[in-house]
Amino acid sequence: MTQEKVIGQRKPRQDVLAKSTGAFVYGMDFQIPGQLYGAILRSPHPHALIRSVDASRAQALAGVEVVLTAKDLPAGLLMPGVVCDQPLLASDRARYHGEPIAAVAAQSADLAQQALGLIVVDYQPLPAIIDAETATADESLLVHEAWETYQAEEGLVRWRNVCCHAALNKGDVERGFASADEIIEGTYTTESVHQSHLEPRVATAVVLPGEVPTVYSNTQLLYWIRTNVAHVLGVPEEQVRIVPTGIGGAFGSKLYPQIEPLTALLSRVAGKAVRMVVPLSDELLAGVPRHPTKTRLKTAVMRDGTLVAQQATMYLDGGAYTGSTPEIASVAVLCLAGPYRTPNVHIDVYGVLTNKTNFGAYRGPGGPYSVFALETHLDEVAARIGMDPLDLRLKNILGEGDEAANGQILTSVGLRETVERATQAIGWREAAATNRGKGISLGWWTTTLQRSTSEALLDANGKVVIRVGTNEMGTGAIMGGVRQVAAETMGLDVDDVLIDVEDTLSGLWDWGSQGSRTLANVGRAAQFACQDLRLKILSLAEKLLETERERLDLAGGEVFSIDNPEEKITLKALAQLSPEGILRSRAESNAEPATYDKSRLTSCLYPAFHHPSYHCHVAEVEVDPGTGMTRVLRYVAAHDIGRAINPTLIEGQIEGGVVQGIGMALMEEVLYDKQGFRTNINWTDYKLPTLADMPEIESIIVEHPTNLGPYGSKGLGESPALHPPAAVANAIGAATGKRFRSLPITPEKIALA
Amino acid sequence: MTAAMTISLTVNGQTHALEIEPQETLLHVLRARLGLTGTKANCEEGECGACTVLLDGQPVNSCLLLAVRAEGSRIQTIEGVAEDGQLTPLQEAFAAEGAIQCGYCTPGFLLTTAALLSANPHPTDEEITHALSGNICRCTGYTKIVKAIRQAAAKGVRA
Repeated sequence: MTQEKVIGQRKPRQDVLAKSTGAFVYGMDFQIPGQLYGAILRSPHPHALIRSVDASRAQALAGVEVVLTAKDLPAGLLMPGVVCDQPLLASDRARYHGEPIAAVAAQSADLAQQALGLIVVDYQPLPAIIDAETATADESLLVHEAWETYQAEEGLVRWRNVCCHAALNKGDVERGFASADEIIEGTYTTESVHQSHLEPRVATAVVLPGEVPTVYSNTQLLYWIRTNVAHVLGVPEEQVRIVPTGIGGAFGSKLYPQIEPLTALLSRVAGKAVRMVVPLSDELLAGVPRHPTKTRLKTAVMRDGTLVAQQATMYLDGGAYTGSTPEIASVAVLCLAGPYRTPNVHIDVYGVLTNKTNFGAYRGPGGPYSVFALETHLDEVAARIGMDPLDLRLKNILGEGDEAANGQILTSVGLRETVERATQAIGWREAAATNRGKGISLGWWTTTLQRSTSEALLDANGKVVIRVGTNEMGTGAIMGGVRQVAAETMGLDVDDVLIDVEDTLSGLWDWGSQGSRTLANVGRAAQFACQDLRLKILSLAEKLLETERERLDLAGGEVFSIDNPEEKITLKALAQLSPEGILRSRAESNAEPATYDKSRLTSCLYPAFHHPSYHCHVAEVEVDPGTGMTRVLRYVAAHDIGRAINPTLIEGQIEGGVVQGIGMALMEEVLYDKQGFRTNINWTDYKLPTLADMPEIESIIVEHPTNLGPYGSKGLGESPALHPPAAVANAIGAATGKRFRSLPITPEKIALA
Repeated sequence: MTAAMTISLTVNGQTHALEIEPQETLLHVLRARLGLTGTKANCEEGECGACTVLLDGQPVNSCLLLAVRAEGSRIQTIEGVAEDGQLTPLQEAFAAEGAIQCGYCTPGFLLTTAALLSANPHPTDEEITHALSGNICRCTGYTKIVKAIRQAAAKGVRA
């Protein structure tokens, strides 16, 4: 560990120069000469039958080249998914306010908008299904009348509006409840929050006869976009080229093929390039934000603080289509179980379809609402038995070698250290001033696995190029983290390593920049490729230096003899002497998933947390008793991330995730009215945290290395967003003496409490 | 369609004669007609601050300003900040402190801060907060942006 020169250093990331001068090319900056402009007509109703769509006037408008409606698509076309229930364009029924009904391509953006206004749709409005819990009742109206006919993943428990019922059962909760000193119950609700990436979603498609169908996209997940584009074009995936463009923030939102398939079809019909931008109002209307939830918790506890049993029932509002709700439901199961030893646990998470936009993956999907419910509930448990909330947690947390609720055995567990360091930093035991209070939240989180592929090559100048199949979305995982891993492995400084993100024709298949997986998996693949490249370099040098490979080392851009460092050759000289031309190695990472007790879980598509990270956040707030205004005064976040590759980038992830979480705690809320219409579709009414709302955040890095990511690193990106709603809510509880069980905790809620 | 008009804009010290439509915003003219895509676009209603440019040294949301109203003013965009390819100390501080993640808000933050520091070389934290509360960053949590500004100010950087 001590010999490492690049790992653990605050090295500059590759993209920082271009991003500070305005030269960086984002998806929004990318255009093709002669392109057409795409636009989408969206349903003005949350739920309606579509009697007819008349596009003739739009088609007749000069400058409009294509209008697509459902009847222009292959009959019965449904998009790929865990449950194949989503059309590309609504045909007979619109299921949410903002659902795409038609798409146009025109010679200017203004013309495209004008054309949308000329499409006449005859709707018959229907009552909207709004509340997830009541939608589970047998007498509820159906969001999908044909739900039984859809193709669905095997083993998924689903019925009527319930698109997934994920469950965990450990021990015997009833027996636990019967034996305990106290039983505490509570219901917790959270609203949807939107990723609100600063750069819009944008795609440019070039699908021309005889050419490789190509879509330029600012997506986080090139190969899933490829699957969807290939599906609608009816061509093999391997023949579709998705080209990454610079990403200005994504946070899960840009995993989804919201526009690429439609844009590709528009381009094919037009015979020209088509560019589609989703305007902010459409993004807020019909993006893929976080699920709203309602959770009932019931906990049995002994007077000494020992947790005996816990039962949780969550209604996870999935919106109109299944999307990624089933996977997220099982992640919620694991978060509701928490990092605790509770011997008897029963958890039901119902993913429920309603007439709202399709909710999905936003930074830590399944996490923040579950952690909010569990961790604020635990404060109520502590209050009931007169125990300090910190002591209750310390008594029950999981440690090294312990078994989590799903039966997986935990190793490299830095949880206790995160708790101790975070609470010490904030002075947990010190009494708070009037109207002030401190709150805590603990948790665990996964490092998503799946395949990543990378190639390392020595270029003619003796520099190393790392080719990867997924894009940098802003975190620095690729342009900072992967680059440092490659530099360390190759004995170079970061300036001598160039990361290049490749399109899908490269075959560098990758499960994408998501799920706290990027550095661990892409970095691991790059490390493997570098290790192989290193061997190739040493083999070549062996002949040239006439020294055995075992007695050679590679550092500082040179191969040298360990016994006689004067005998050496630079990488540049080696590259030029290489008989086969450029040296090149390709490797993949496809790590073994965590094992767990299958008998405890049903219908869980994400049944275990791989190489878990552990975290503890503590907040101190001040509440104005007159206005109900909350100010976060201090915020400390401690994260066990295995191994710190670059502390600056790690702190950046923690600070950014915390602010998003504070937004969810105090101000952000995707609003629907009682009829199911979206109401706040701009950034004035949807309130994002600004600098004026935020405390300075103190990040504490805890390192309990794991054997997954390069140099021991675990995932990081999502976990900082899990805790602020719970930590802030608990701090408000301590400051006011009142419990707040619904997010966001607005001044109004506090003033009226 | 409205009648085109000719205007003259001075951007980063260069004067351009442009034929535009009267309703075009400065943001649109900078990006689409001058190819200065360093000025970023999203909300187009003055909420996010990504499109901030300096007009006679003052930060403005270029999405809210008709291009014609900028005639006769000095306009500075992010492309006009670095001199001869040399980053300014403020740009360097942003890069070194980790104040840049996705970077989409960065041009707006850099220009707003440059205006702040040239008027007030040693701002208090409160003054920094006040100046920058119209710029949204969704990645960094602001902590490192503030650190970068403090660091630049401590070095006596004016812009």
